[in-house]
Amino acid sequence: MAKRRTYERYLNRVGWFCVAPSMVLFCLFMLYPIMSSLYYVTRKWKGMSNTFIGLGNFVRMANDKIFQAAIGHNFIFMFIQVPVMIFLALLLAVLLNQGLRRLRGPLRLAIFLPSITSLVVVSVLFRVLLQTNGFLNNVMLDVHLITEPIGWLNDSFWAKVTIMLAMTWRWTGYNMVFFLVGLQSLDQQIFEAAEVDGASKARQFFTITVPLLVPIILFSAVTSTSGTMQLFDEPNILTWQGGPSNATMTAALYIYRQAFFINYDFGYATSMSYVVVLISGVFAFIQLRLLGGERVKK
Amino acid sequence: MKKGLLIALIFLALVPGLFAQQKISVWCWDPNFNVYAMKQAAAVYNKTKPNVTIEIVDMAQDIEAKISAGLQAGGAGLPDIALFQDFRIEQFLQDYPDAFVDLKAAGVDYSKFAAYKVGPMTVGKKVYGIPFDTGSTGLWLRTDYLKAAGLNPDSYLNKNMKWSDVIKMGVTVKAKTGKPLLSYQSDNFDMLRIVVQSTGGQFFKADGSLNLRSDAFKKSISLFKDLNDKSLLYSVVGWSDWINAINSDQSAGFLNAIWMVGSVKSRPENAGKYMIIPTPLIEGVSGAANASNNGGSSWYIFASSPNKAVAIDFLKSVWATTTEDTLAFYNNILKGAGAMGTYIPSLKGSNYTAKDEFFYKGQAVYKDFAKWMEKVPVLKYTPNYVPMRDAVAHAVLNYFQGKLKTVDDTIAAAEAEYKQVMGQ
Repeated sequence: MAKRRTYERYLNRVGWFCVAPSMVLFCLFMLYPIMSSLYYVTRKWKGMSNTFIGLGNFVRMANDKIFQAAIGHNFIFMFIQVPVMIFLALLLAVLLNQGLRRLRGPLRLAIFLPSITSLVVVSVLFRVLLQTNGFLNNVMLDVHLITEPIGWLNDSFWAKVTIMLAMTWRWTGYNMVFFLVGLQSLDQQIFEAAEVDGASKARQFFTITVPLLVPIILFSAVTSTSGTMQLFDEPNILTWQGGPSNATMTAALYIYRQAFFINYDFGYATSMSYVVVLISGVFAFIQLRLLGGERVKK
Repeated sequence: MKKGLLIALIFLALVPGLFAQQKISVWCWDPNFNVYAMKQAAAVYNKTKPNVTIEIVDMAQDIEAKISAGLQAGGAGLPDIALFQDFRIEQFLQDYPDAFVDLKAAGVDYSKFAAYKVGPMTVGKKVYGIPFDTGSTGLWLRTDYLKAAGLNPDSYLNKNMKWSDVIKMGVTVKAKTGKPLLSYQSDNFDMLRIVVQSTGGQFFKADGSLNLRSDAFKKSISLFKDLNDKSLLYSVVGWSDWINAINSDQSAGFLNAIWMVGSVKSRPENAGKYMIIPTPLIEGVSGAANASNNGGSSWYIFASSPNKAVAIDFLKSVWATTTEDTLAFYNNILKGAGAMGTYIPSLKGSNYTAKDEFFYKGQAVYKDFAKWMEKVPVLKYTPNYVPMRDAVAHAVLNYFQGKLKTVDDTIAAAEAEYKQVMGQ
């Protein structure tokens, strides 16, 4: 008995020894920053000095209409873009999985490529295409689709559309790959049975494919939602620092600008991050409840 | 035997040099401009002090964020010398009061530099930087479009114009050639800043509060609205698209600084087409001049530097002393990179007065920019320049698009956004 205990202790010691480096790194680069952020939240930063202001940063946030508008933009992007993108990704996955077998490889590559392309390069190209006298407007004017050029980057409504288009373009392929994998793991016999019963392709899609893919849809929805809450690159480069006139300013971009560009106020930036994390958490929870809970019941 | 002696002698000569070897490092950006100029300066310094190695690092991105992180860490990882944009430095001087070396105390004679460059780097009796390049501005005009519109470019050459006359000229050019007069970056504040600074206007009061309700500022915004409503602005979003617009003949000109020489010259088709006239004047504002400034940077030494003495000696003896070598240096970087210093004794070099055949009728552009530079009114950017700049740019765009109705509404909107961002 005693011998066994020493052996266990020995095993424990070896185990701890093995995980120690990662634990040290974790504490240094994860735990410590998270703990110290709790301290930052209560402070107003100004150069080398910082002062205790209690909940002052949250009061400031409550009065900061730009931050509130930025969160609002995040919501707009999330509620419109995420469902559209997931539906598109699902549709593309089914199409690639069923028809177009011969072109599957090249098409899959073409659709996936945007998500691994450098966003800076992409944004620069998009900007050229989307200028008021850019390629897209010129083509649309030539075929008489529009009578005057659209301010894709200049108009506060169209700039939001531009951001959503760019996000959809970039991430649809990424999500499609998950759905493709999911589809390939589905049992073909179910579809054959449905076929025998006379269910149409559309019916099969909505009553068999979609319900069976719920776990993957859930995964996509949660990652896309949190990704949208952290949206940064597109408004920073494509519409140029959240322009026009803050119309595409997002929470993450505003936090960055407060911390590293405008005021160097790390306290305020950290406080805003907490709010964003909280919102992301709430959404993830709701999504898990809505989609995940049902699955458990069944 | 002789050979051996020679080697021994060379070795002996090298030994003290090896031991006295000192190294200083410099952070800046733009290999063809700042890095180039600093390399030339290092070469001049090494003529007399060969034992000092000057390492110049090209920090293409986020140099301010890196420096700010280094300052937060008490100077860790910082170089000895860094380049700061003039509109940025005041924030750093305020936020990190002991982080920079007072060069006035080190004996630099600031009366030899253009006064408007010294303003931003001065805090009380202390002066912190070595002024580098100028952003002396002018109105760049395409003479081919002026001619096409039936105007004679020669009648504008070197003429101090008023904005009302410029608008008349622009309307004619637009009617005859279809080209808007100026390429304009709608997300950017620079052009408005150029106009306001030419009036001698300040964006902030002495106590640090906003000063947007000044006559100069209101008149500047009205001018821009007028230019916009008369379709004299070719609006684009972003810097690269602005350069693109200029080099693809979208407008008959633009309002910007001397350092545009490089971009304009990068396109051979521009040869012989451009002329540059003094920055136009806004009527009815006292203190206004036909000169302004946009951009420009200066060198600063960190107090945390272990090689402070060498760094000070380097900047002082090359950038702020009049010798044959230093004058030749300033003259060379003008030719090599189009970098015009703000050290007044250097402005008489041969490259400053030379005719430049790339411009209309061989205009001696550097001579003109240097002449205008001496008249530039001093602008204090203040530590909160950046949020003010963004707020004003946003409000002006909304005014252009009709979301704000009057100049007063525009100013109120800019003030409101500024207060939001600053948490006031």
